Amino acid sequence: MGSPFDINGGACVAMVGKDCVAIACDLRLGMQALTISNNFPKIFNYAPSTYLGLTGLATDVNTVSDLFRYKVNMYRLREERHISPSDPGQPGQLIVPFICGFDSIGCIDFAKDFIVSGTASDQLFGTCEGLWEPDLGPEDLFETISQALLSAVDRDALSGWGAQVYIIEKDKVTQRLLKGRQD
Amino acid sequence: MDHFPGTWGRPRNDVYGAYDPSYLQSTGPKTHTTSPAVTGTSVVGVKFNGGVVLATDNLASYGSLARFTDTKRLRVFGNQAVVGFGGDVSDMQYMDRLLESMDIRENYSSHGNMLNAKNLHTYLSKVFYKRRSEFNPLWNHVLVAGFDGEGKPFLSSADLLGTTFSAPHLATGFGAHLAVPILRRLFPEEKPIEEISREDAVDALKQCLKVLFYRDARSLDKYSIAVITKDGIDLKEDEQLEGQSWAFAERIKGYGAQAV
Amino acid sequence: MTSLMDHQARETVGYSFSESTAGVKQHGFYPYTDNGGSTLGITGSDFAILAGDTRSTSGYNINSRMVPKVFKIGGDDETGEGATIVLSVVGFAADGNALKERLDTVVKMYKYQHGKPMSVSACAQRLSTILYQKRFFPYYVHAILAGLDEEGKGALYSYDPVGSYEREQCRAAGAAASLIMPFLDNQVNFKNQYIPGSGEGHALAAKKPEPLPLETVKGLVRDAFTSAVERHIEVGDNLQMVIITKDGIEEVYHPLKKD
Repeated sequence: MGSPFDINGGACVAMVGKDCVAIACDLRLGMQALTISNNFPKIFNYAPSTYLGLTGLATDVNTVSDLFRYKVNMYRLREERHISPSDPGQPGQLIVPFICGFDSIGCIDFAKDFIVSGTASDQLFGTCEGLWEPDLGPEDLFETISQALLSAVDRDALSGWGAQVYIIEKDKVTQRLLKGRQD
Repeated sequence: MDHFPGTWGRPRNDVYGAYDPSYLQSTGPKTHTTSPAVTGTSVVGVKFNGGVVLATDNLASYGSLARFTDTKRLRVFGNQAVVGFGGDVSDMQYMDRLLESMDIRENYSSHGNMLNAKNLHTYLSKVFYKRRSEFNPLWNHVLVAGFDGEGKPFLSSADLLGTTFSAPHLATGFGAHLAVPILRRLFPEEKPIEEISREDAVDALKQCLKVLFYRDARSLDKYSIAVITKDGIDLKEDEQLEGQSWAFAERIKGYGAQAV
Repeated sequence: MTSLMDHQARETVGYSFSESTAGVKQHGFYPYTDNGGSTLGITGSDFAILAGDTRSTSGYNINSRMVPKVFKIGGDDETGEGATIVLSVVGFAADGNALKERLDTVVKMYKYQHGKPMSVSACAQRLSTILYQKRFFPYYVHAILAGLDEEGKGALYSYDPVGSYEREQCRAAGAAASLIMPFLDNQVNFKNQYIPGSGEGHALAAKKPEPLPLETVKGLVRDAFTSAVERHIEVGDNLQMVIITKDGIEEVYHPLKKD
């Protein structure tokens, strides 16, 4: 049997823009080469403008997202405020675009540009490094992250089957569903 | 009198038990050609204005045993090329014989030996590649130094797989880890080799050999060095590393049974 | 005589140190290595570009910063002058060189015997045969062949190590192929790009790929490599770009990051 990281497949990417961030994932859930579902989103919402993308073994994606929801709920009840993406100790902090990534044992990657994960991570590194540029507005950032994700998952047999994109701005979040190749 | 010569010179069975024949492989493919026995360590080389310097130490190891301490691992070919051998010493001697016979053959021809270091490197890399393709490799990594067809300094590497590459400074084995960074710092790649003097190149190689002697456990402080210029080859085979300082060794702590 | 018979009994010898119970100790000889690097080819209506980085690696060591991977095939002399076909090889460099030299010889022999240069399509088929001849001890390389076809259009053929081949518009190979290829799909073949306002749902029209101008392609090649250098440790040092047009073959080098 293969590595737990590439049994179910899936890809996720986040990007920083000008006064906005974007996070996107594919929708496939598989068992090795067999596709089980084309509606398995890997991005979870924990507070206004706080999103978490999880890739890897699907059972662990579910476990971690649920466990994290529990912890975030407990945090909100105790602190009487929402959790924020970066520093947990500062209420009313300056709102700035922020993304970061983690490996499976908790090493943090504070990136200024983009974060990729999943079975299409090599492909995503290539497309993001080629397409991303600094200070993209919300619409341009949406186009960039969508093209980067769709082109990357089309070169990965274990990812694809549509995508979900969130554009997070100061006062609004836009969610879009992308069709993508169905093979 | 023991009438069975097969048992002569062997530990007695009644004392030491019977010989364990599992050490002798009797089935499967021939494997003795697929691992080196007596080996030489790093070869280092650098180009300078008007020539190339090549250096090795004089040690041939048998595993971790310093078996032969006066092994000449720089071999001269013709009058303008030198080959530095790392890896198996018997394979080196075989290749040296190949080169010797080629030199003699060429010298008997009407034009004399016109083969330069570049030709020699091409030949050696093809010998290596042929032997690796037959699964009977010559277990060496060599540096070839001299001049190319246009009379420019030439330094190139070839290994047991037939892989070849050239650069202004090269090193094999441990030298690839320890000597190349020193050479790259002393002679940055953007600095043209015309600005490197013979003295600087020789001093740099001596410094590399010293660092290798400090840290490579299969190395020796006796070395050979060859300077190849248009005027010919200046080969010294019985040199001694000078100016060693082992002061740094006192500060190394935390290994083995040492109580810090 | 009994003492000799004992040999067959295979008694265990009582050494003071523990014996390994494993079979024969052997240091296996593996005839391949990976020398890293990446190559890339793109064609246009009247040109073809083959590019590769010039780094040679073994493991984490950089062997040299200047080992070209793109070769002129069937030239009149050592410099490749007069050639019309270009080959790039990435993977095991020794096999790459052997393959290059065999194809070079074949194309030269063809010219001597037939009195005309070999066409790219014929050369492409021949290269496939050469690779397949070593089906059970393959040349461990990903080859890309480029030139101009009989109509003067850019022609590009890509190969797997055992000779499967296909004519394509663009192809990336080597260590960073997985990074570069999806970028090329998007920027050369316009994959996942649609014509804005052309309709909703299935009526939305995909942007049709069309041959790109030379300067655009040169830009894409450089972007692809600067991106690959950023994220792949085996790619770097210099970019070798070989451009084939009806006027001949132009070869240019650009510096890449050396870290």
